[in-house]
Amino acid sequence: MTLFAVTWLAPLAASIVALSTIPPLVALYFLRLRRTRRVVSSTMLWKRATQDLRANAPFQRLRFSLLLLLQLLALALVVLAIAQPQFEFGESQSRRIVFLIDRSGSMNVNDAPGDRSRLDEAKQLAENRVRSLSSGGIFSGSAPSVMVIAFAKDAQILCPFTDNSAQAITAIQAIQPTDETTALSDSFELARAFSTVTDPDKQSTVEVDAPAYELFSDGRIVDLSQSVLRGGEQVIFHSIGKTTTTNAGIGGVALSRNPNRPEEVQIFARVVNWASEPFAEDIEVFVDDRLRAITPKPVEVPASQDDKALGIRIPGDTQVVFPSLPLPKGGVVEVRIAKHDALIADDRAVVVAAPPESLRVALVGRGAFVMRSILEGMPLESLDVYSLSEWNDKLKKDALTPDTFDVVVLDDAMPDDLSRGRYLIFHSPPIGTGISSYGTKNNLSAQSIRDEHPLLQYVNLNDIFVSSMTAVAAGGDADVIVESSEGPMILTFNRGALTLIYVTFDPMESDWPFQRGFVNFFANSIEWLAAGGSSVADEPLAPGDVAKARLPIGANEISMMYPNGKAIPIDEKDPSNISYGPLRTSGVYRMNWSVPKEKNEPTSMAFAVNMNSRIEGRADAAAEVKFATERVAGIQGGASVETAAWPWLLLAALAVLFLEWWVWLRRV
Amino acid sequence: MNPILKVDDLLDSRLMARLDRLDVISRKIFAGKIQGERRSRRRGQSVEFADFRNYSHGDDLRFVDWNIYARLDRLFLKLFLEEEDLSMVIALDMSMSMDGGNPKKFDYARRLAMALGYIGLVNNNRVSLFGFGAERIERLTSMRGRRRTREMGRWLLDRRAEGIGGFTDGMRTIALGGQGRGVLIVLSDFLFPDGYEKGLNYVAGRGFDVFALQLLAPEEMDPARHGLAGDLRLIDIETSKETEVTASTAVLTQYRKSLETYVAGLRDFSVRRSITHQVVETSLDLDTLLLDYLRRRGLLA
Repeated sequence: MTLFAVTWLAPLAASIVALSTIPPLVALYFLRLRRTRRVVSSTMLWKRATQDLRANAPFQRLRFSLLLLLQLLALALVVLAIAQPQFEFGESQSRRIVFLIDRSGSMNVNDAPGDRSRLDEAKQLAENRVRSLSSGGIFSGSAPSVMVIAFAKDAQILCPFTDNSAQAITAIQAIQPTDETTALSDSFELARAFSTVTDPDKQSTVEVDAPAYELFSDGRIVDLSQSVLRGGEQVIFHSIGKTTTTNAGIGGVALSRNPNRPEEVQIFARVVNWASEPFAEDIEVFVDDRLRAITPKPVEVPASQDDKALGIRIPGDTQVVFPSLPLPKGGVVEVRIAKHDALIADDRAVVVAAPPESLRVALVGRGAFVMRSILEGMPLESLDVYSLSEWNDKLKKDALTPDTFDVVVLDDAMPDDLSRGRYLIFHSPPIGTGISSYGTKNNLSAQSIRDEHPLLQYVNLNDIFVSSMTAVAAGGDADVIVESSEGPMILTFNRGALTLIYVTFDPMESDWPFQRGFVNFFANSIEWLAAGGSSVADEPLAPGDVAKARLPIGANEISMMYPNGKAIPIDEKDPSNISYGPLRTSGVYRMNWSVPKEKNEPTSMAFAVNMNSRIEGRADAAAEVKFATERVAGIQGGASVETAAWPWLLLAALAVLFLEWWVWLRRV
Repeated sequence: MNPILKVDDLLDSRLMARLDRLDVISRKIFAGKIQGERRSRRRGQSVEFADFRNYSHGDDLRFVDWNIYARLDRLFLKLFLEEEDLSMVIALDMSMSMDGGNPKKFDYARRLAMALGYIGLVNNNRVSLFGFGAERIERLTSMRGRRRTREMGRWLLDRRAEGIGGFTDGMRTIALGGQGRGVLIVLSDFLFPDGYEKGLNYVAGRGFDVFALQLLAPEEMDPARHGLAGDLRLIDIETSKETEVTASTAVLTQYRKSLETYVAGLRDFSVRRSITHQVVETSLDLDTLLLDYLRRRGLLA
């Protein structure tokens, strides 16, 4: 029970003791004061004496029964001690407490006391907090239920509501650092889901026991402004880290192969500075851990600035372009800031440069001239053209035929089997996918366009006109990229071994082939499908992303080697479509596998995971957190925010008893 | 002190013998109704000289100052205060409050009244006893001569302390009672709920030489030394009203201050009205009181 910012661990015991002792004390007091009866000649002078004394006494009422008052005070102190109050220095507390522990990238800053990381400090504080909550003392007071949620890019319940402090502490100790961004909304949703109590007797009524949240974080949380506290919810913010810590990091890195000389790559990097002072440092490029380039002079990055209108801090940044490096076989390219600062993870960024891609593509169907011309213009290893019947014949002979091609383009053709493979499909609705057609629509234009999708990079669909389109209803696994007023125009679909891009209209019945964007869309689609449905091949992952891979047929003994050298086996029956993750820390992950010796195929694939300093690199801890509804000031060093008061109360009771004894002696 | 069961308990023979040498004196000259015994008894010994005047024909030659005549050859007559019988009124407080104390203030007052009355009787003064209590005034008036001693003793023996107050009515009765001017001795504790002022005002200025003997028991003078301590429920012997008192040091100190203030108030009131006030603690030996205290206070000589 919480009252006046004090947690009472054993209010029932105190109530019982109070009820069973105070009335007898009062009765005993009056019994003890059975006065000696004395007959005197006159009480006149006595009355005058007592009246004078009362008139001169500062506490007239108290004086009359000072001994009783002192005894009651001592007893009250004892009762309070039995109730075991836990003072919290102004905090209030629920019987349910949710510990929200930030494990994002910025929590790896080593500015906590003892040069520990912020996450270590947060874990220590949370652990101490759990211990203090469960320090029951001499009587059996019930500690509040505790839930432990670790959050970064997403939230994870490490320990559901429990009264077992050991379980909660074990969960806290098990929290591992990540380099992910920080989002808190999921944590609240999870906690609320667990705090919702449905009363079976009132089937339509849902009662919510609002928990108290204790947030252990540096306060740099991306979605704070979208987080709304509901009625009754309270947040105690334990501010971790120093508000003066500065940081600079790599905000992004990209590779680009020279179209004319594919064996060479050009490296772009963005250096970010969160400090209020300009930053200058050398930037180095490593390829497969060997230093290959360095900036001729320190890169100067301007200071960060506060945007008062938006209420945010904008970091200073500088883009660095390195000269082309020969990289014919690909490799792991790492860009580093020469000198480390408080946050090491963002001082480096890695990108995996794949060797120049050579794709095998099949074109099935009409083999329209436009498509064939585009494919022939792409740097493909091979381009095979089949009619629909030829393709169906191959499928009958070998159902795994689609896996022998990186991409199959279906030009207004639909094969008998579409269960596996990567397809770019025009016009004919794909079978067996849940995408159902219900007629034809005419004279349409694009209404809703997801420009950010990799398929639409350098593709402008605003002016496209489609004279005829197959009207389809997208199923649950479909992802609509472009939509007209009559339904999807371009969508993607991914289920098991099947990945496809479906363009619901025949490009030849539109003006799209006459636009440059059609060629780009074709090239983007081939790359996207070849990469297994993810983004472009060379783009690094962000911490928390899932690694997707398409391994050769027959690959086995698949494992993932983490940046720290630890290998985790992957149990995946279908090597052609592997998803593994999330990969929470930055660095280079290597997926290794084995193939039959007779096949001369690669047995390793690297994934780069980079912490984006523009998002997570701000290292100065926040003194308060601003939710959408309110702001909460932080508590610094809240290790002992709750203190058991019963020993002091017992001591005070003893002192009062001594005082009572002294007063009594004086009277007698 | 022994209880008073018979007349002899009021005044023993030893004290009686010592009292024979005492007389009641008054600071005032009173005109008695008859000539008293004292004049003939003290003639030529302790006459109080007043003045001289020229001898005139018919004057008693016994009062001629022959020494002056021898020196001046003129006859002068010595004038003496005429000594008359003294009206001695003893007012005895018979309120219930006098029944308190150890020894009882009422017993002490009766013994004292007996002694004073005896002194008056043996000196041939006119002695009257008044007992006042609640709505009652009992009296034994106009006694003269030693032979009335036992009568006075029996009267005192029959008196009881009862009721509340009665002081004002008693004093008014004495003042208006035509007892003649003389000495009025009031024996009381003067602890009257309705005050003593009105009663004393009746007798002050009525020709009495008033002596207010305030009798207080030892526990009234110093309660702490006589067992009044701790948490007490004090019962007023007159009104039976109860007062709860925790006799702490502070309370006892305050009580003593109250008593001193009360006594001082009575003394000041008395002085302003030419009343002689004397506090008498009832533990005081009666001999000492009579032979020492009251002589020094000018009541006895």
